[in-house]
Amino acid sequence: MKRLAIIALLPAMLFPQETVAPTVNERVGSVRGANAGDYNIVQSWEFGYRFATIGGDRGKYQSDVNFGNGIRLLGSSLSINSKEGHGRWFDEFLLSTQGLGNDPYESATVRLQKNRWYRYDLLWRQNDYRNPGLVIANGTHAQNTTHRWQDHDLVLFPQNHFRLRAGYSRVKQAGPALSSVLEFDTRGEVFPVFRDIYRQFDDYRIGGDVDFKGFRLTVQRRWSFYKEDTKDDRTTPVTGIAPAAITSFDRSQPYRGQTPGWMGNILGERGWIAVHGRFTYASTVGDFIENESAIGVDRFGAAQNRQILVRGRGNRPVTTGDFTVTLFPAARLTIINHTSASNTRMVGNNFYQQYDNATFTYSSLAFQTLSLRLVTNATDLRYRFSKKFDAFGGFRYSDRRIYSVENTQVTGTPWDGITAEQSNTTKAGVLGINWLPTKNLRLHAESEFGTNDNPFTPVSLRDYHSVRARARYRAKKFTLGAAYNDNYNANSISITSYSSRARNYSGDASIAANSWMSIDGSWSKLHLDTAGGINFFAGAPRTALVSDQSIYVSNLHAVNVGLRFALRKYADLYAAYSVTKDNGDGRSTLAPQATAAGQVFYNVQTFPMTFQSPLVRLSVRINDKVRWNAGWQYYGYDEKFGLIGFNQGYRAHTGYTSLLWAF
Amino acid sequence: MRFAAALCLVVPFFATAQTPNTYVGSTTCRTCHPDVWLNFNKNPHYKSIASGKETPAKTGCEGCHGPGGNHVAAKGGKATIGAFSEFSPSQKLDACLSCHSKDVNRAGVRHSAHTEADVVCSDCHSIHKSPTPKFLLAKPQIQLCYTCHATVRGQFEMPSKHRVNEGAIQCSDCHNPHGNVAPNWRTGTSSRLIATSHDNEQPCLKCHVDKRGPFVYEHASVRVEGCETCHAPHGSPNARLLRRPVVFTLCLECHNGAGTFGRQNAGVRLQSASHNLLDPKYQRCTTCHVRIHGSNSDERFLR
Repeated sequence: MKRLAIIALLPAMLFPQETVAPTVNERVGSVRGANAGDYNIVQSWEFGYRFATIGGDRGKYQSDVNFGNGIRLLGSSLSINSKEGHGRWFDEFLLSTQGLGNDPYESATVRLQKNRWYRYDLLWRQNDYRNPGLVIANGTHAQNTTHRWQDHDLVLFPQNHFRLRAGYSRVKQAGPALSSVLEFDTRGEVFPVFRDIYRQFDDYRIGGDVDFKGFRLTVQRRWSFYKEDTKDDRTTPVTGIAPAAITSFDRSQPYRGQTPGWMGNILGERGWIAVHGRFTYASTVGDFIENESAIGVDRFGAAQNRQILVRGRGNRPVTTGDFTVTLFPAARLTIINHTSASNTRMVGNNFYQQYDNATFTYSSLAFQTLSLRLVTNATDLRYRFSKKFDAFGGFRYSDRRIYSVENTQVTGTPWDGITAEQSNTTKAGVLGINWLPTKNLRLHAESEFGTNDNPFTPVSLRDYHSVRARARYRAKKFTLGAAYNDNYNANSISITSYSSRARNYSGDASIAANSWMSIDGSWSKLHLDTAGGINFFAGAPRTALVSDQSIYVSNLHAVNVGLRFALRKYADLYAAYSVTKDNGDGRSTLAPQATAAGQVFYNVQTFPMTFQSPLVRLSVRINDKVRWNAGWQYYGYDEKFGLIGFNQGYRAHTGYTSLLWAF
Repeated sequence: MRFAAALCLVVPFFATAQTPNTYVGSTTCRTCHPDVWLNFNKNPHYKSIASGKETPAKTGCEGCHGPGGNHVAAKGGKATIGAFSEFSPSQKLDACLSCHSKDVNRAGVRHSAHTEADVVCSDCHSIHKSPTPKFLLAKPQIQLCYTCHATVRGQFEMPSKHRVNEGAIQCSDCHNPHGNVAPNWRTGTSSRLIATSHDNEQPCLKCHVDKRGPFVYEHASVRVEGCETCHAPHGSPNARLLRRPVVFTLCLECHNGAGTFGRQNAGVRLQSASHNLLDPKYQRCTTCHVRIHGSNSDERFLR
């Protein structure tokens, strides 16, 4: 075994710079089960080493990819099944893992069940989550949050007419992330800083199903709790433009929220009619307090201190009801009517107190309400002319009322005593067909066109339409597909008209020429162009209102090609290449514009870049139970214009070598 | 009664049979289909055999394919049995829903976008040869979805994306491929199979729990129109899945004071006159408006 391990790791020593690529879905040969008593066991374990070398902007690489070096349990699976479905304690046990041992994307799933008695599912995930603060924090990539999820679900008597359900989920975030604290650098610029955050969300569920007279009633009670205890202490002085400085800073913003809720669901299908009703109610309450104190020197050199206290509560009850009726009046005809109504009401208040130099200076009490009531009705009709051709059409109607109140104790502020109400009505139609001209060819086309009389924002849908078409040809040895998708929206406003058009085209092919070779590939083009009216203040030495147009053009092409090659039963080779390229609006340089403000917008109207990633994976059979795997994957990112002041391009060679043991 | 209804869905497929059809039991089927039977004990549908309590119309092979008497008598043939390869999409759907129509997460299947496009159960699920340990998927989920959604594949291969290709999350974390009720944000446009989290919230909030609120000062567009107002959830060439490469264009396209938009029906508030956009620090709006998703302390999302 030792000799085997040395042989397996030898190629890794020869190519120390390579790789990184998840291997969970990779075929590594057939596995066979082992029988133990009344059970059959199948398992595979893949241990290996990942390595990565990165050139260029390491921060950007960590935000985009983030694979590192180290020993990993790259993937594993274990399944134990009872042979006859009558195991003593369980009939099925499944365990699969990915990336354990410090990969940025780790997960484990478990299923344990005994027929007729129980079924338990667990999903655990951890993501070392790096994300750029670059658009707001001077190009830094320091955010490195660990994000963990776990979901547990238990069903008792899963095959019975009466089932009990219980569940628990947790979401937890910890590590450095952007805080709401702003600091100065020596140029007087402000930027938010990264602080350790601590957030936790717990969700408890209990409920059950009961079947009666062809209907199933499901009821679920839920309690969710959220807490945030991010704290910020700073004793090291922070200097701004001299002599301004902060010598001590402390802020805590504890938050506690809870959401008790109900969900009820009823389903039934009988002959010519099927009905579905659903009701949910959840009322979230969040209590918060903010305590901030800062001590330092102001820009005139005088000692300064400030304390802020904010406390209050937010409340959001949400009620939804849905009712769907499906009618089958004739064998060829289906009519579906779906009605949905919801009411969301957000009410909050806070009491704000501020003390400067230990002297009370300001306090305010604010109330806010934002209510949404949405009623949606959709009716669809579908007629099957033959087994090969059917057509459908539908009408959607929505009525949304938005009600808003803003109040504050301090009169005269711009946001005091504002009550507003508006309603939006959306009407849309849908038409489509499905056609099978031959047994292997499937065609689908549909169009949606609608209008919204009072869109909420200048970029919301107003007069819009979309066209979608798809063709797929499937034969024994190959599959071909093509799709087209066009979305257009025109939302005229008083400055200028806003319009947005997105056109997507795609094609894909998959060919399994024989048992030892297969090729698959896809190409897609995603084209987006928008033009919107904007107003802003700019100018020197005094600012003035400028009206202009914000244009954005993205012209993305994405290509994937993969080749799988098997050398009899001795080895499998997989090679692939993917590239995503945004050609932008075609410009090669940023041409000087007539005005400084015009230049600011001209520079960001497009964002040409290229992101490419070739990879090769090799899997060699050592014996019936052991295989040696190795892989290399390159990540290359290049942007044409450094929008944040510098080019964030990087090149990374990542790789792994591993041993897979399976039976 | 409910078994009779299920039977009614299957029986028409064997209209060519001249003699009354009978149930023969799964042990008869395995005589000619040993490859299917070999691993059937690992199949969720094996429960119907193991329990020993189901009626023949709900048990094993004949639970889905209908009675096999004529098929046995004719020594095989697709015309004498309920062969899914010969079914139309609606027949496949009806056959599966005869048992699976009452599960909560499949409640919207009749009016889902997939069903409208004739994408039905057996297009995504492989009952006999599934390579996945759960849900009998025809392929691992990501490959399955990419089979038809090549443009989405392109979006997940952008520099800034949700980590679907890396295995951190799956399509079904945010979408319910079986269809769902209408979302309670946005308006009545097609639902795109979006799942709800915590029964009635946007799927984004399932993981991004800190954006859930409620906040005293809500960024109204987040609640009214959804996170997609500013973010492209699959992937984007821009950092933080933003729809624009820089923040200020994203903000100013709404905050232009024009028309009848916004909470007060008087336009979405214009930026302050003190913010000279030529100064780089005012181009990074969320540097100061750091609680842009909602704040409890400041109306302008400053803290």
